[in-house]
Amino acid sequence: MAYTGVMPSARSRAMVREARHLLFTVAPGAVWIVIFLVLPGAYLMGVAFMTNGPYGLPQMPLSLESFERLAGFGFLGWSPGNLYTLLRSLWQTAVSTGLVVLVAYPIAYYITTCREKWRPIMLLLVVVPSWTNQVIRTFGWMNLLAPGTPLSGLAESLGLIAPNMGLYPSSFAVTLGLVYNFLPFMVLPLYAAFEKLDTAQVEAAQDLFASPVRAFWHAVFPQTLPGLLAGIVLVAIPAFGMYVIPELLGGGKGMMLGNLVATQFAGGANWPLGAAGAILMLIATFIGLFAMRRIGKRLGGGEEVVI
Amino acid sequence: MRKRTLHRGLTAFWWATLAFLYLPLAVVVLFSFNAANSAASFTGVSLRWYHQLMGNEEILSAFANSLVLAISSSVIALGIGCLIGYGMYRHRHRKLGWLIVLIYLPIVLPDIVFGISEMAFFVQIHRLTGLLQPGLGTMIIAHVTFQIPFVALIVYSRFVGLDPTLFEAAKDLYASPVKRVVHFMLPTIKPALISAFFLSFTLSVDDFVISFFTAGPESATLPIYIWGAIKKGVSPEINAIATLMIGAVAIAAIMSLLFSRRRPA
Amino acid sequence: MTNNKKILALTLGGLLLAGSAQAQENKLYLFNWTEYMDPEIIEAFEARYDVEVVQNYFNSLPEMFAKLNAGGVSQYDIIVPSNYYVPRLIQTGLVQKLDKSKLENLDNVMEQFQDPAFDPGAEYTAPYQWGTTGIVYNTETFPEAPKSWSLMFDPEVNPDHPFALMGDGQVSMGGACAYLGHGYDCTDMNAWKEAARLLIETKGRETFSGFTDGTPALQQLARGVTHVGLSYNGDYLFFKEEDPDSFATLDFMIPDEGAEMWVDSMLIPSEAPNPDMAHKFIDFILEAEIGAQLSNYNYYASPNAAATPYLDEVLTKPPVQPSEADMERLRFTPSLEGEALQTFQQLWSEVQSR
Repeated sequence: MAYTGVMPSARSRAMVREARHLLFTVAPGAVWIVIFLVLPGAYLMGVAFMTNGPYGLPQMPLSLESFERLAGFGFLGWSPGNLYTLLRSLWQTAVSTGLVVLVAYPIAYYITTCREKWRPIMLLLVVVPSWTNQVIRTFGWMNLLAPGTPLSGLAESLGLIAPNMGLYPSSFAVTLGLVYNFLPFMVLPLYAAFEKLDTAQVEAAQDLFASPVRAFWHAVFPQTLPGLLAGIVLVAIPAFGMYVIPELLGGGKGMMLGNLVATQFAGGANWPLGAAGAILMLIATFIGLFAMRRIGKRLGGGEEVVI
Repeated sequence: MRKRTLHRGLTAFWWATLAFLYLPLAVVVLFSFNAANSAASFTGVSLRWYHQLMGNEEILSAFANSLVLAISSSVIALGIGCLIGYGMYRHRHRKLGWLIVLIYLPIVLPDIVFGISEMAFFVQIHRLTGLLQPGLGTMIIAHVTFQIPFVALIVYSRFVGLDPTLFEAAKDLYASPVKRVVHFMLPTIKPALISAFFLSFTLSVDDFVISFFTAGPESATLPIYIWGAIKKGVSPEINAIATLMIGAVAIAAIMSLLFSRRRPA
Repeated sequence: MTNNKKILALTLGGLLLAGSAQAQENKLYLFNWTEYMDPEIIEAFEARYDVEVVQNYFNSLPEMFAKLNAGGVSQYDIIVPSNYYVPRLIQTGLVQKLDKSKLENLDNVMEQFQDPAFDPGAEYTAPYQWGTTGIVYNTETFPEAPKSWSLMFDPEVNPDHPFALMGDGQVSMGGACAYLGHGYDCTDMNAWKEAARLLIETKGRETFSGFTDGTPALQQLARGVTHVGLSYNGDYLFFKEEDPDSFATLDFMIPDEGAEMWVDSMLIPSEAPNPDMAHKFIDFILEAEIGAQLSNYNYYASPNAAATPYLDEVLTKPPVQPSEADMERLRFTPSLEGEALQTFQQLWSEVQSR
């Protein structure tokens, strides 16, 4: 769009036209998101600073009561209940993200070693289960892990679980459900990283280092790091706020932050407390995004690291 | 030698992972044909749960709701998202950081936070004005909100991939902006529009959490119905609906495979 | 380009209208427990008044209460909560008074339900069904089960079989209170704290399966996911009838330490779209024959005196009609409000999150 040599008045008119063009194309969507997401979000944050009414609805005056409650301070004194929930969420997120990495890394590598014409099909095979509804996938695991099923029988005979108990409902089932749910989100970015792998570098490293482990560590791993980090963001953030899987697979034991927040609204308990929990989740999300961006930039991965 | 054992190990691992990925779905499909109401034993093949499904008005209406919701929200999101995608492209030299943040917001927000903020907000607005009563309307609004970014990004990247001189050529060719849109823009970005529509559609059908919090008495979608049925504990019927939904996904997967193969990428 | 904006505005307006134009004159929105209504009664009502009944279901009272708060108050015409949620519905202004002039069959209600403690003068409520919440257990696993809460709370009585407590905090807490000897309807702070401690301990046991609502608890029992659970007498009989094989080894009992007796009532939300039709529906349910049909279908005891002659025989004996000895031990779940409710909810969320 070169406007050189145009009269100043015509130029400013063109600028106005451009600005109007920008407004008309961008405004509907931007306004939509502002009205239907930013405002609700702001309202929710406001709710977090209100007082819990006698029946769970927010009311005036403003206070920090809900944050105190979230931190465990009730008028019965301090209790570690919510802290446990928070720690459990962090722990579940860490464990399942770790497991997802352990499974996805070799899988992504393996796909790149296969013939080119098979690769899209293999990727599709990994992704297709995640096209089915989350509720259905989780229900599948409920079927598989219930007491009396072969898998539970096996675990029982190996002495992994108490007799008659079954693998579901349990924290183990929640972890398994999380790994299952998020595996594709890790495989895809890792695959992209492996596909771009500079093989010359790898071969040089193989010559340089006697042990393949060291060759891998120095030549392969750093190159896949951006993909790995992208995968971790894609897995860890939604896992931290997960609601469906712990609710269905965890029984009453595996309560996570997502459930704590959801029950405040869906169980008629305490809106301000739920809103405070949501803020905590948001903070975690943004810290995660920010950290990944920083690390990504330092590694030279640049923008692509974040989604 | 070592490389071969590594490869063999990886192959085994690959098949094990596939088994892990498909086992739960396979069990759902298998038990949808189970004659007995049991998750533990398969007593014989029967279509009893499918018979129960048919004529279940609630399921049919949930199915209809899912479709109406997915189609109407995708159409609206396609319109709005397209505009933004084009605007972002056309004005990509400006500082549009705030817009990028705005567009990424629905993507990065945890869906539970998304869902409850919309619910709390809609309830408040409804209390004050009588508008936005929970129902299909509020669900469509919520779905459009999370679909817009995906449409915008797909359309944007399609425009970026185009040769910029094409736009100049089009400008010479068609004087009126309307004709330019109809004869040049829309045809060029058609593939992006199609894939954006399908992505929006899939996202909408797949969504549970956001729908759950914005739904009203008559607007239960299939995932909400299934959730309710699981919570209620009537299991075998769920297997049957789930099998039908898995079947739809399988067809979609095969279609996308054929589609991507026919076009030399 | 301004056209775009117009289209957008139109679409938006359309959406808003679609949202608010939902409630129509010829529909009745019923918000009820799952598996709690005979479809034939609905058909009969639809035929008589030329109206479409839209049913929605809840699995627990907290869920019902949350839905009402989230806009349901202007979307449902009838709700069917249990006794101890009625006071908080009245106090939060979520329900409206009944217009008794429109309820001809009100006299059919049994005397003991005409002036209930949870709604003095029955200004807001008309009774729907009444029943009990007891322990359902597997008789093969526990051939000599004690008639006691110890089946849940004593690890020596039930060392190695999975069991579930109820998702509704007040019922689980009441059970723990009863087991500890404070009575099912305890409201004393110290008793509650002790009960909460017991629940946390119980939750920590390896064999604790989870918190389950009443109706799904039966399905879990039938499928062997749990061997002991909490459920309702009528639902137990209903599903036993549906699936005799799975329920052959399941039994229902009321623990000697005391348990819950409840009354579910019909109420009209304060902003119900169609209160006129709602009154007609309540009056319809209060008819002698319809009331009996409802109980015969649900296997719950009827609060309708006029319905008695039409009731099936099974409804006149335990577990539907508890034995006199059991009747003495049954208590209503206390209605909590104000500080007591806040205290209770903190204790309960403590139990849930540990």
